[in-house]
Amino acid sequence: MGAAVRWRAWLPTVLLLTVALTQILLARVADLSPWKGGGFGMFATTDGTAFRYVRLFIDAPGRSEELTVTESLEDAALRAQLFPSDHFLSSLGEAAALREQRHGRSVSTVRVEVWKVQFTNRPLRSTEKRLRSFILRVEPPLVPLKPDATLED
Amino acid sequence: MSTHLTLRLTALVLLLRPMGPWSLRPLILAGAGLAILSPRALTSSWTWYALTGLLAARIVADWPLPDNHIYLLTYWCLAIALALGAADAERVLMTSARLLIGTAFLMAVIWKGVLSPDYLDGRFFRVTWLTDERFADAVQLLGRLSQPQLEHNRVVLQPLPEGAELLHPPSLDEPSAFRHLVLASTWGIFAMEALVAIAFLYPFGRRAALAQHALLLGFCAITYAIAPVAGFGWLLLTMGVALCRWNQKTLRAAYVATWFLVLLYSEVPWAHLIVGWLTNSSSA
Repeated sequence: MGAAVRWRAWLPTVLLLTVALTQILLARVADLSPWKGGGFGMFATTDGTAFRYVRLFIDAPGRSEELTVTESLEDAALRAQLFPSDHFLSSLGEAAALREQRHGRSVSTVRVEVWKVQFTNRPLRSTEKRLRSFILRVEPPLVPLKPDATLED
Repeated sequence: MSTHLTLRLTALVLLLRPMGPWSLRPLILAGAGLAILSPRALTSSWTWYALTGLLAARIVADWPLPDNHIYLLTYWCLAIALALGAADAERVLMTSARLLIGTAFLMAVIWKGVLSPDYLDGRFFRVTWLTDERFADAVQLLGRLSQPQLEHNRVVLQPLPEGAELLHPPSLDEPSAFRHLVLASTWGIFAMEALVAIAFLYPFGRRAALAQHALLLGFCAITYAIAPVAGFGWLLLTMGVALCRWNQKTLRAAYVATWFLVLLYSEVPWAHLIVGWLTNSSSA
């Protein structure tokens, strides 16, 4: 096989290796779930979608409470739990804050926590471990948003 | 012949599992549909470059959610596009298929054997068999666990806060058939993936070709009976078709038959039917 033909056959595999090695790096240093990111770590560890979750806490004058992850936040929550980077945690926090403001509730800060369930082997038991905690400070909206009944999730 | 069949099966994989956000999905479906219907589009490298671009855009738009086989499908569409632009398309595609299969399996083996903290000691499959609802029928059938045992074990595996311990922790109910299932699935899958990686990456030459095919066909026929990722199985089998030489009609037929077997696995809940039948016949 000549060089002109060889690069055509090798290029896709070089791309695969580049992405896979990047995925290993991100899984090691930035808590990317080994199941995701193109590194072929699926079915290799319990550290996947099923055993990670997020918790959202809202603070404002007169309120401090945990929020349920509603359907409208699910996509952002899934991204944040699988790759808890500042970008995805901040996106989730912003989405949660906007939702609260749409419903006429005040928000000063949103704390986003990513947790995982880890298992010991003998005996087989599970415990929860916090992977990351991120606090988003929220500016009050310039124009107060009115509660909108149609925006219920 | 092999190349045309490979291209059609690849387009079929794209059609059978529509993917991506709504802005990309119609375009991916249109490209794949066009490839199936028009022989000219099927063999045009531009069709496959366009599909590669759309799949890559899907991965970026949905990141980090896409499964690993979507990445492999993207590399495979690129491999097809590059091969169709070469003088000897079949040979380029064969080499790409061999390298992509071998490297994907190598990465899977590295994750399971080196990087994962909970695979080789059996923890992954113990937890997965017991807690993943998608495997509930299979674990009852193959691990001889009853529904009450399964529910009891799921309660035992409820997580405690970090550092907490129960004074009198309940114990798991794991019959010997279940322990054997964990052992067989942990080491069976690891060994099979390692063998596929070696067979496809080590330069054994043509003597190893039959072993390569047997391993890939065996892996797909066994794994995708249980694993709920038919798209991955179809893709591997499609790449297997690309590895068949024009005169290997029986081998090609075996790949196509296994391709449809994986389709049946995905559409017929065989484990659920057998568990239901066993439950009914034991209560009668």
